[in-house]
This record gives sequence, C-alpha cells and structure tokens, in this order.
Amino acid sequence: MPEFLYAAAALVLLLTGLGLMRMLWGPSPADRLMAAQLLGTGGGAIALLIAIASGTMAIIDIALTLALLAAFAAVALTLGEPGTKTRAGEGEQ
Amino acid sequence: MSLLVDLVLVALILMAAVWTVLVRDRRDAVIAFIVLGLLLSLVWMRLYAVDVALTEAAVGGGATGLVLLRACARLLPVEAEGRLPGPGTQIAAGLLSAIAAAGLAAVVLSPPVPYPSLAALAAENIHQVGLGNPVTAVLLAYRSLDTLLEKVVLVLAVIGVWALTPDAFWGGAPGSLKSKHASGALDLLARVLPPFGIVVGIYLVWNGADHPGGTFQGGTVLAAMWLLMMMADLADPPEIRLKRLRRLVVFGPAVFIAAGFAGIFMSGWFLSYPPDYAKPIIVAVEAALALSIAVILGLLVAGPAAEPPKR
Repeated sequence: MPEFLYAAAALVLLLTGLGLMRMLWGPSPADRLMAAQLLGTGGGAIALLIAIASGTMAIIDIALTLALLAAFAAVALTLGEPGTKTRAGEGEQ
Repeated sequence: MSLLVDLVLVALILMAAVWTVLVRDRRDAVIAFIVLGLLLSLVWMRLYAVDVALTEAAVGGGATGLVLLRACARLLPVEAEGRLPGPGTQIAAGLLSAIAAAGLAAVVLSPPVPYPSLAALAAENIHQVGLGNPVTAVLLAYRSLDTLLEKVVLVLAVIGVWALTPDAFWGGAPGSLKSKHASGALDLLARVLPPFGIVVGIYLVWNGADHPGGTFQGGTVLAAMWLLMMMADLADPPEIRLKRLRRLVVFGPAVFIAAGFAGIFMSGWFLSYPPDYAKPIIVAVEAALALSIAVILGLLVAGPAAEPPKR
C-alpha cells in the first residue's frame, strides 16, 4: 500500500510540475498567479498522500497550512500587478 | 517508489530556482520565488523536518511574498527616474552572490565526519521539560536565550521599519494594503478564510508543545489572516502611535523575559524552569509570543506610516 501511495504522490507531483512550468511561462500575470494556487492544491494532495504512506501524521498539518496560505498568496500576488496604480506614491501625499 | 517522488521534487526545485534567477521581470521573479518556497516546504517534509516544512510553508506563502511584492511596487518610481545600477554594480552584486553560493555549497557538500549532533542528548532530557516535540524543547528550553534574543530582534525590526516614517506622518497609519482588484470574491474570501485561519493558527501554537508546530508558524498564519482582511479593506492598518498596539508588540518578549527572571527565584538561573511547572510556563510563553509575532509580522508588511495621524 505505501508503495502505491508513493507512486500516486510522484504522479501528482509530476503533473503539478508540468502545470507549474506552463503557468510560470505565462503569458499573462494571471497565469503565473495560478501557479501558487496550483501548488496549494497539488502540494496539499502530495503532503496528504505522503503522510499516509510514511505514517507521519504531522505532515497533514503541512497540507492544511499549504491549502490555507496558497489562497492568501494568490490574493497577495494581485497587489503589485503591473499596469495598475501602485501604492508606492503614497509617501508624497 | 519514494525515490521517484524525491527525484521529481529535486528536478522541480532546480527548475524553479533557475527560473527565479533568469526571469527578467522582477514581479515574475517574486512569484517564482514564492513557488520555490512552497516546493522547499515539500522538500523539508520529505526530510521529515515537519517543523521546518510548516515554517517554510507559512513564512514563504504568507509573509515573504507580500513583503517582496510591496518592495517591488515601491521600486517602480525609482526605476521610472532612470536611477538603475550601472553594469559595474550589477556584475559586483552577481559575483558576491556567486561567492556566497559557492561558500554555502562547499559547507553543505563537505560536512565534518563524524557529523556533530546533539540530537541524542536533546531526546534524552526531553522528559525534564515535559514536552513531546524536541524542536520546541530546543527552542524554548535548551536554547531559550537564543529564542528570546530572536524575538527581541523582531521588536527592533518594527522600530527600524517605523523609523523610516517621514516626520509629517509620525504616529499615523501605514499605507493602505487594499488590493486594486478589490471585488466581491476577495471580500468573500476575507470573510470566510480568517475564521479557519485563526483556528489553524491557534492549533499550530497549541500543538507545538508535543507535535510539530509552534509559535512562529501559528503567529505567521494569524498575521496572514490579519493582512488578508487589510487587503480586502475589511480592516485598516492601525496607527502606529496607538499605545495598545505597542503593548501588543512587546507583550510576548516581555512575558518571556518575566518568565526568565522568575526562573532566577524558582530554580536559580535566568530562563531555567522548575521541572514541575516547565510545560505550563513554556505554553504560556508560546501563546504570548504567537500573539506578538502575529502583530509584528502584520506591522512589518504594512510598513512605515504613510499618512498623518487623525486627530
């Protein structure tokens, strides 16, 4: 059973990696933004599979943190979007 | 089969690292860096360093990215004025980075034999502090002085950031973090996610005594939830002159120092805990620290005051 779960984790990791490559490539900033989201879900799935496969239940907490903060990171990435007014000029107000 | 997972992970890490360095646009580099951080947390997980993996996921996903993106936004007007570093500076910076990387590689690739380790000693004495998580035992009992100084450094970091405030704005609020893409979706996320995030944050702190987790991971998650509410415009960044805010910043380190001095009377040494009460004291210190870390990280990301105080 652990062997099967490790194989599943490797497959999910491979697919996440392929998706990641395509998303980092672009072309639009929104594509790259999705890369963080993908790692939240994909990384969470990998962590859960490995937690069961290795019997280290604490790893489930990593899946929890990844899922929670990937959503946050996606919001954070909208902050410095090029072409929009930035917060930088505020010092001169 | 587990080897296959590791090989794919290593390939992805190398790819993300190379991409981070090579990509031209600074903002894309930050995104790639966030991706690299999340991948690194999977690497720490594979090394069974669950505490480090949690920290990497929380700090890499929650705090570093936002700090770097805000720095990017601040650099835009500087670049617009054409004040770019010359080729000499760029080559020097590249060379120094390469030397630092080579030095680190040399250290990692040629470890001393036998490898020095205090792990056995740490595991042997863990019952004396009543904790189940050896990492927390090292951080808050064996090497608590280091941890205390680390938390004081966080307070100094806040003072350093606040010191960048122009005179006219002293005491005012940091610039708004409100996202330009504020929308119903973001508003909904900022209302739905924080209740879960706060529970997870407190869980990580509480769990840290006996299982992987701890103050910094929990505090970072709490800070991320506060920042999310600021970005959705549901909460305003607080004015830095508020006494209550400043008390929260020093609360954790102050409780830690108080526990340290109490140790002098209870068991004879600064920061030594009496064995019977070690665990309750450590958990109390951790809870106070987590609160302060959450506030400090939020304030560090929010930055120096950018508007005059309201009267």
